[in-house]
Amino acid sequence: MSAPSTTSAPPSAGPPVPAAAVVAAVKSYGSGDASVRALDGVTVVFERSRFTAIMGPSGSGKSTLLHCLAGLDTLTSGDARLGEQSLTGLSEKRLTLLRRDRMGFVFQAFNLLPTLTAAENIRLPLDLAGRSLDREWFDTVVRAVGLADRLDHTPAQLSGGQQQRVAAARALVTRPEIVFADEPTGALDSRSGADLLAFLRRAVDEFGQTIVMVTHDPVAAAHADRVVFLADGRIRDELSAPTTDAVLDAMKRLGN
Amino acid sequence: MRRVVLKGLLARKLRLVLTAVSISLGVAFVTGTFVLGDTMTATFDQLYEGLTEGTDVTVRGESAFTDTTTLGATKPFDAAVVDRIEAVDGVSAAAGSVTGYALILDKSGQPVQPGGAPTLGASYTTPEELAGGFTLRSGSAPHGPSQVVIDAATAGKTGYAPGDRATILFTDGPRDYTVVGVAGFGEADNLAGATIATFDLATAQQVLGKVGQFDTIAVRGEDGVSADELRDRIDAVLPGGLEAVTSDEVVAESSKAVADALGFFTKALLGFAAISLLVGGLIIWNTFSILVAQRTRELALLRAVGASRRQVRLSVVAEALVIGLVAAALGLGLGLGVAAGLRAVLGVAGIEVPTTTLQVEPRTVVAALLVGVVVTVLAALLPARQATKVAPVAALRAVDAPAKPVGRLRVLLGAALTLLGAAGLGWAIADEGQLGVAGVAMLLTLAGVLVLAPVLAVAVTRLVGAPLARLGTTATLARRNALRNPRRTASTATALMIGLALVSTVTVVASSMKASVADVIADSSRADFILKAASAAAPGLPPALAEQLRGVEGVGTVAEMRLAPAQVDGGTTMVAAVDPATIEAAANLEVSSGALATLDDTSVFVSDDVAAAHGWVVGDHAEVTYAQTGVQRFTVAGTYGNTSLLGTDYVTTLGANAANGGSELDVAVLVVAADGVALEELRPGLEAVAATYPSAQLDDAASFTEAQGQTIDQLLAIVTMLLLLAVVIALLGIVNTLALSVFERTRELGLLRAVGMTRRQVRSVVRWESVIVAVLGALLGAVLGLACGAALTRGLAGEGLSVVDVPGTRLALYVVAAALAGVLAAIGPARRAAKVDVLRAVATA
Repeated sequence: MSAPSTTSAPPSAGPPVPAAAVVAAVKSYGSGDASVRALDGVTVVFERSRFTAIMGPSGSGKSTLLHCLAGLDTLTSGDARLGEQSLTGLSEKRLTLLRRDRMGFVFQAFNLLPTLTAAENIRLPLDLAGRSLDREWFDTVVRAVGLADRLDHTPAQLSGGQQQRVAAARALVTRPEIVFADEPTGALDSRSGADLLAFLRRAVDEFGQTIVMVTHDPVAAAHADRVVFLADGRIRDELSAPTTDAVLDAMKRLGN
Repeated sequence: MRRVVLKGLLARKLRLVLTAVSISLGVAFVTGTFVLGDTMTATFDQLYEGLTEGTDVTVRGESAFTDTTTLGATKPFDAAVVDRIEAVDGVSAAAGSVTGYALILDKSGQPVQPGGAPTLGASYTTPEELAGGFTLRSGSAPHGPSQVVIDAATAGKTGYAPGDRATILFTDGPRDYTVVGVAGFGEADNLAGATIATFDLATAQQVLGKVGQFDTIAVRGEDGVSADELRDRIDAVLPGGLEAVTSDEVVAESSKAVADALGFFTKALLGFAAISLLVGGLIIWNTFSILVAQRTRELALLRAVGASRRQVRLSVVAEALVIGLVAAALGLGLGLGVAAGLRAVLGVAGIEVPTTTLQVEPRTVVAALLVGVVVTVLAALLPARQATKVAPVAALRAVDAPAKPVGRLRVLLGAALTLLGAAGLGWAIADEGQLGVAGVAMLLTLAGVLVLAPVLAVAVTRLVGAPLARLGTTATLARRNALRNPRRTASTATALMIGLALVSTVTVVASSMKASVADVIADSSRADFILKAASAAAPGLPPALAEQLRGVEGVGTVAEMRLAPAQVDGGTTMVAAVDPATIEAAANLEVSSGALATLDDTSVFVSDDVAAAHGWVVGDHAEVTYAQTGVQRFTVAGTYGNTSLLGTDYVTTLGANAANGGSELDVAVLVVAADGVALEELRPGLEAVAATYPSAQLDDAASFTEAQGQTIDQLLAIVTMLLLLAVVIALLGIVNTLALSVFERTRELGLLRAVGMTRRQVRSVVRWESVIVAVLGALLGAVLGLACGAALTRGLAGEGLSVVDVPGTRLALYVVAAALAGVLAAIGPARRAAKVDVLRAVATA
């Protein structure tokens, strides 16, 4: 079992501020004997304009880590940061506004409001904020996800892959500092999944978007620049410029 | 299966309660009505039983008919009859008495006016055992022309005690007395709310205008003689026109008369209860439809593991049964409170109901339980059928079943009904007097709108929601949510629609009534001043008032009007009595044939409508039955068109009225100034006279119109209050639907919160949806009510509703109020929606 190297890297190292980070993050549920540690002292930094995948077996704490980074959940101890902003102790409302203005989300399913059209779903965060739409950017994003001719359709009229791409467009339209994707391809067939991953990759390469994605699929993880492996609430391994095979190998090592 | 049902119910306690409450309120109304009715009946029974205690047989003038209009008003007879009765074998004691009008004034000169109960003057009966339980509590019995004994309730209200001086107003004017005693009726302080002043026999006969006469003779038999036997023996010696009745018979006939009078009242209240139940049923139906839709998966799972269609359907019906039972039981308890509340409402309206313990008959309990359970189960039947229609596998797969489009058949049926109803309403509005058409058209329109509701909901929501969209994302989302399931939105809104349609209808009719009264006064009254009893429930004004008014300088004509209850063709009606010499100067009756100058004590004027119905023309004969004098054959002296001013279809002379035992009090006195006398010159003189009759209210045409308007407003307020229950139930329905919808949209709300919707915005979405639904219901209701009210008013044109008045501002206010109520209804569900756990909502894949 190799010692994870990143755990020792201090978050404040170097002048460029990372997009997001957690420091000594602990999240426990329940109390006393029944207490479970979903995160058990995790420190990890996510650099700007990088595509990071978080992997690990079920119950490894990968989703919890994502939720805490996104301000959807709070840490028991330690700190989560967005840029220079610490999320610790922020009010519910401040967290909501942070999510709306500075983050983007793609969930596994039920990403869209059934009553809104694709276009309305995409611009939802802007509408909620009362911000005006950057038409050019909107068109760019829509073209990139290949949905230009589907904008007036409601989610019920779209395929699963199209729905996920609408969600991805929504995540990008506010030009967020970071996009969190939680098993975005989990409910898709491999072809649709590949399309979505290709789009996320392009968002990083062409637009300089920062993306953090939780997945259990080695193929999906191989689209990232870096893979962080979690098990039992701790970071166990890390890969740079991963390939599917390298990820599979790392997973096998994790299983031992 | 039973365990499944019960567990399901317990898991949704709040929903259970919310659902039950809508039915409970309706049941409470039914219960309250029955309890109040029974209580009133019981009170009067007790009262009449108490009054006849100690008396075996009563002798009185014969009545041609008995109902509440004639109760206790028999023809007085020669006092000498008492000697004959005392001579009858088996009679141990007999005491004659007289009763009449006597208004006691309090220490500040104001009349002691009980709600609707009479103000009585009577002889003080000795021996006491024949006095119907009227016994002295302090002081002594009255002796001589200046002594009076009053009832304990009046003594309590006024502070009069033995030794005090008191003024009492009779038909021929006021007199002063010394209070020498205070008496009660057994335990009770007064008689069903009536005030009573008693004098010794000679004084009473004199001041009540019955010298040498009795109204009744109370007889007590010797031991061992049965009441029936005694009655027969006495009857044998009575002269014609008199009858002997046993106390049991008196109690029975009085109770029946009161029960008949209460019957109408009870029916009206049950009508309101039915409306509440209809609205409650709609809500139950809606709730169950949503519940079944939400539980499609759960029910499908039951089916998949082997429950039969029947079992699943039964499980839904069983759930309804339990809710119905809980609701009915709850309603039964609430009903007691409603009964007390209704009693208070009636008190405000001037109908004082004497107090006794609330009567809960077994019939009430059975009716309440039955109504609650039956309505609930009926409302759940359709959703129960729906529940079993889904194939198990399809349901298990279904995630968010989209709303089914409204069937074409339904649209066609609804449109046909609505158009037919609208055409009928149009006809009823265009052509006056079409009450039947108006009634049928109202029902058709209501049915049509109910059927068409989902389509209307979409159209109106688009319309109402369009300007909302400019208010921002939350309003847009709310509008989309409201449009999402038109059936649900429609049935939630229609519950409110029904309540508001009724309120609006009543408002339009009342508003038209007010406008019509003003019209009548302006068109047909020629009087400069009108005097009426200040309290609408008071029996009238002493005739001495009119006499004194004639003496005021500057008065041209004084026309008095009295009323007598009578029967024509078996139905009780009121016959007005006027002086033909004065009435034309004071009022325009729009005589269409004959002449008022030819009206004498043997003739009658009838309204055009009644004349047409009977085929009467001048010179024909009309038979009118008076309680005291029986059938009277009048010659028709003429016909008249304007019934609005007098409010009756028959007019006789004051002489005919007196001869047939009509009221000796004036219901109204009209005063016309002499030529060339300015009204303001005349007023002080009239005021001076009126001041000595504190029960009289002096009005000029303007203030009279206003006073009438106030009376109508009061009535409107009471009816609106009763209808408000249906509105409240409908609002509960909105709460219920919203709560269920919020529950259904947990995941969506979680997503919205995750991508940055603040709690405040979430609340706003729910609130807007509530407002849209409320305004939708209110708008439909107001429009429907407007059309129905106009049609009804035109239908009632013959009853004096000459003008249709549309109170636009008021109706608009209702819609605004509904919108505000929508905001209130959304408070709970909005809070719940804002509290949605984002993590759980987005994590449940």
